Amino acid sequence: MNRTFFARCTRLLPVLAMSLAAAAPLSRAAAEDVIRFGAPLPITGPLAPEAVKQQQGYNLWAEEANKAGGISVGGKKYKVEIVYVDYQSSTPRAVQATEQMITQDNVNFLFGAFGSGAAKAASTVSEKYKVPTLAATASSVQVYDQGYKYLFGTFTPNDTLTMPLTKIIQVKVPEVKKVAILARNDLFPLAIAQEMEKSAKAAGLEVVYFEKYAIGTIDHSAALSAIKSLSPQWIFITGYINDLLLARKQMVDQEIKAPVVTMIAGPAYQEFIDGGGQSAENITSASWWHPAEHYEGEDIFGSTANFVKLFKAKYGSEPDYGQASAALCGALFQMAIEKAGTLDRDKVRDELAKLDVVTFFGPVRFGPTGQINSLDPPVFQIQGGKPIVHVPRCHQAGRAEGGGELVKRLFRGART
Amino acid sequence: MSRANLALIVLIGLIATLPLFGGAYALRLGTMACMYAIFALSWNVVGGFAGYPSFATAAFFGFGAYASGVLLGAGLPLWLAVIVSGVAALIAAGALGAALLRLRGHYFAIASLSLVEVLRELVNNATDLTGGGMGLNIPLAAGSGIMADALFFFYAMWILMLATALTVMWVAGSKLGFGLACIRQNETAASMVGLNTTLYKSLAFALSACFVASAGGIYAAWVHYIDPSDVFDILYSVKPIVMTLIGGLGSPLGALCGALVYLGLEEVVWRNYIQIHTGVLGLLIVMLLLFLPHGLVSLRLARLFGKAKHV
Amino acid sequence: MQAVQILINALVLGCLYACIAIGFSLVWGVLNVINLIHGSFIVLGAYLAFGLYHALLLSPWYAVVIAAPLFFVFGYLLQRLLLNRVITAPVLVTLTLTFGLDLILNNAMIYFFTADYRKLILSPPLGSVSLFHVVVPVDRLIATVSALALTGLLYLLLRRSRIGRAIVAVRLDRDAAVLMGVDVKQVYAIAFGLGAALAGCAGVLMALIFPISPLTSSAYLGKAFVVCVLGGLGSVSGALAGGVLLALVEGIGATFVGPSLATTLSFVLLIVFLIARPQGLVGRKGFE
Repeated sequence: MNRTFFARCTRLLPVLAMSLAAAAPLSRAAAEDVIRFGAPLPITGPLAPEAVKQQQGYNLWAEEANKAGGISVGGKKYKVEIVYVDYQSSTPRAVQATEQMITQDNVNFLFGAFGSGAAKAASTVSEKYKVPTLAATASSVQVYDQGYKYLFGTFTPNDTLTMPLTKIIQVKVPEVKKVAILARNDLFPLAIAQEMEKSAKAAGLEVVYFEKYAIGTIDHSAALSAIKSLSPQWIFITGYINDLLLARKQMVDQEIKAPVVTMIAGPAYQEFIDGGGQSAENITSASWWHPAEHYEGEDIFGSTANFVKLFKAKYGSEPDYGQASAALCGALFQMAIEKAGTLDRDKVRDELAKLDVVTFFGPVRFGPTGQINSLDPPVFQIQGGKPIVHVPRCHQAGRAEGGGELVKRLFRGART
Repeated sequence: MSRANLALIVLIGLIATLPLFGGAYALRLGTMACMYAIFALSWNVVGGFAGYPSFATAAFFGFGAYASGVLLGAGLPLWLAVIVSGVAALIAAGALGAALLRLRGHYFAIASLSLVEVLRELVNNATDLTGGGMGLNIPLAAGSGIMADALFFFYAMWILMLATALTVMWVAGSKLGFGLACIRQNETAASMVGLNTTLYKSLAFALSACFVASAGGIYAAWVHYIDPSDVFDILYSVKPIVMTLIGGLGSPLGALCGALVYLGLEEVVWRNYIQIHTGVLGLLIVMLLLFLPHGLVSLRLARLFGKAKHV
Repeated sequence: MQAVQILINALVLGCLYACIAIGFSLVWGVLNVINLIHGSFIVLGAYLAFGLYHALLLSPWYAVVIAAPLFFVFGYLLQRLLLNRVITAPVLVTLTLTFGLDLILNNAMIYFFTADYRKLILSPPLGSVSLFHVVVPVDRLIATVSALALTGLLYLLLRRSRIGRAIVAVRLDRDAAVLMGVDVKQVYAIAFGLGAALAGCAGVLMALIFPISPLTSSAYLGKAFVVCVLGGLGSVSGALAGGVLLALVEGIGATFVGPSLATTLSFVLLIVFLIARPQGLVGRKGFE
């Protein structure tokens, strides 16, 4: 009997040792003169690729801020430290992680969780504790209309993407009459598809097909065949990179052609262009920011070009809107804290609400709900393996300043 | 009352004293612990007593969360919404069980797994009622403080856990429990001696559903926002199995201990191994199964002191 | 014409599904183990193809030849060293064990390859063939032919070779096989190895068609599940029949009730099959 008991104990040892080893780093000494920013991110699970992008943005900002000596608060320099917690792409975990960071890790300020759903759910916690939160990737108006005072977001509402897109397409490709929309049945992709439907109808276009596909769909051939038989001039597909790469490949395979093919939210990412290869050509899209824009900002990054340069030097790739927005959130916190001259959460919150600055991301001003209302999201098209940007209001940005002819060619080329 | 059941009650009583020691975050963990315990205790009825490997926990949980979410949105008070969800799940699972429980082994496992998929997709497509992929926002309970809120949901979940434990203990000692044990050991023989196996199994399935669905209701009110891929997460089906395996199959005390240990491990691993925590969790599961196949209850305290009845 | 196109699409997709499911079916049928690592094996195979193509410009056709023995050894060792310890335990234990192993393998892939989606793009692209307005992509056609070839090879192996007949014998009646002098441990390990090799080959072929990321493993696993139940467990032809049936249901469902309900439909079909015909389309009664 004793033998079996000992045998059991020795077998258990590795388990115990692991648990102990795991528990050890729990006790972390709190360092002086550090501002701690909490960032709940979906580091594992289906949203993991997005979390990496967010992390790159935050880290780049933290590095730049610390290189410059830190954030100066009332004449004293504070180093930046970012606390990451993984919420496994699960919304309740995000809520839990947010509370953990506030009560256990003693963060001073928070970045929002990824995407509209998680950001909204987690914002109830940060609101409860009155911690100013900057959401880098939440675009739905429903996130901001809860009357919360401590939540701010750097993405304009979804319809600011689809409205200008529809206008440009109508002007440049007048033969577009029928639109087919295929949307991933998921928070952001579905919301943007619904906005697209509204924008198209408002512009007098006929929406001949509007269907959702389930998350995890690995074959779109049936939906695409149905679209093909309706011969729309504009095919609008929403989803994440994997969905869009697959849908695009199947479109090419099945020889489905339309004068305009728009995909959101993949083409803004370099991975889409790499993964799509030749088939990514001529896809149009819209996003909140693009590295080809030109802004002269007052933030730590200065100009858009400088941000792109720093990003490339650190990560070896072009930044996209997710990474840029994350870095922007850091830079905005820095500006607000420096202006407030204190780490007091309420004062910093007030400074955030008052911000009216130009940054590398574009002009930043938060509306009464906390959502940014000063940006014109760029519309772009992939040509020659590069996105060519057209900004609706045609301020200094973009290589499309030639207006008429170039843009015309740009949007007419979308035949596969 | 047996010693194991007594220990179970004492342990549950101890959990109730948590607010004396911890703040809001500890209460959040405590609420999770109670929820996990409800999962494990409930799963144990069908998985442990009757020996049917059910993967339907996530289906019941999501069902309860959405049923309550919709009812709360319609203005029902929380307690009523939770009870209605629980009863609805009881009836639905009992009816479904009569059909599904004719299957055995892997086949039953897969059928119960598909139940999760079917429900998730149905909820996903009923956009008008559930918001579909956009998720469902549950109205906030009117203005209360941080601690009051945390305390409220902790005790709501705790009471539900207590109810679950009492029911499970009652089942274990009743004719139903005896019948389920017979079914586990030899179902054919059990039905030959006149046991209505279909009825017994359906009852077990229904009981394993109703508390989980009620927990889903409390959960929905607690987090304020649910979406289909979150509440119908297949991990909610797998976790109670792992918990019960940690604690020991078929023992309510084991199920509760397993749930607590699992939550502890998950928390520690989650905090310390950001990049590789699912891998570490996998490693722990593998090691537990290989080195401690009969769970924690097989490590009887008595054996520590060499007083075992037999070797 | 659209109807013909949908039918052709479904047939081709069905063969892909069969390709995904066949190794899973073999392991389930012979070892009575639901091998949850299967999806991650397929993804690993896809990464192998991706890596070989990008590092050595080795075409995926050769990658199949490399993947098969590599994955066989991997699977063989995994069965011999780990799974074999619990092979006689109840369903639940083996299932949870493979779940744990899958967590490890999947997390390792995310750690080393990142979760970013990649795509293997052949240059020049294979394109499509079209006949009377019906279009079939060449890469899918190749995968279809390969799936049929793999199925045929496995069938021959099980029928003609010594070890194949031993596998069939163990599947039909383990105890009798032991009495006849079959080394069951060895048979189990070889069957698991074969299952892994088939998954690896499937992964190489899928790399041509689908984006590659560790996150796709659950989609593959889900399809394998449904195909196996529809077709019948452990049966080689069952995987083909199940795959085609699933693809047909999905294709027709997507066309008539919308793509978002297609998956729901396939799972409803699964439950109906489980209750009404648990042995599947091709399977024999009595396997549990």
